[in-house]
Amino acid sequence: MTAARFDDLIHAPTRLAIVSLLAASERADFKFVRDTVGLSDSALSKQLATLEQAGYIEIHRGFVGKRPRTSARLTAAGRRAFELHVAALQEMVAGAGVSIVPR
Amino acid sequence: MADEMQAAEASEALAEIRNRERQVIDLATVPSWYWWAVGALMVVLAVGVDTRTAVAIGLTVPVFVIGMLSATGLAVRGQFRAAQLRRGLLDGRGVAAILAFVALIIGITLGTAFALRGAGVSYPATWACLAGGVVMGLGGPPLMRTLRRIMLGNRAGSPR
Repeated sequence: MTAARFDDLIHAPTRLAIVSLLAASERADFKFVRDTVGLSDSALSKQLATLEQAGYIEIHRGFVGKRPRTSARLTAAGRRAFELHVAALQEMVAGAGVSIVPR
Repeated sequence: MADEMQAAEASEALAEIRNRERQVIDLATVPSWYWWAVGALMVVLAVGVDTRTAVAIGLTVPVFVIGMLSATGLAVRGQFRAAQLRRGLLDGRGVAAILAFVALIIGITLGTAFALRGAGVSYPATWACLAGGVVMGLGGPPLMRTLRRIMLGNRAGSPR
């Protein structure tokens, strides 16, 4: 059985969206995350820095040709924290008997 | 009341998580035109094989190679540029579906080619690849829907 632990850092709406995108990815491009979540460069950088300081993500800065390309990926600790957070959310929902219709 | 609010918020958070993961999964969906393009390129290559002239082979092989590279590049560029799908979303069922699809295409194409060749029909490889290409064009989208369904089922927070 999976343990559950609610994670305040992940649960903040913007970070939840970012971590969810990263959870389905091996790595995700900065621009993709920015455009999908609808953030400015600086706002996304700030959120990524917070997640990086927590050890939840790794940021890779490289080049494709001459163009700079930044991507992010969940660390093992970040993926584990996300899974525990999802389990905590599921427990809360199951405990209240709330129905969820998958999208 | 507090518990109900908490549960409602948790439900919304789970829906948000699944929606965001779906956005990444949808990047990996190969468009329908890709399957028809590959089918058409198979036919082009087969024409070169059946014609058996240096000019025909010299023309069709580059068209096939460049066409395949271009079509594949266009089809997967979103995933390459934006986000690479997490390994594990596509489990053994997905791999089995892909292998079954490949086996079906190969079986139909080779089976048809040998049967036509045995019957003395002209251009057997071309006709066989036409049959295989049609199956690919018709079968590709259902395969992608199956893979997408499997990946959506393997998202975090999905019922297991």
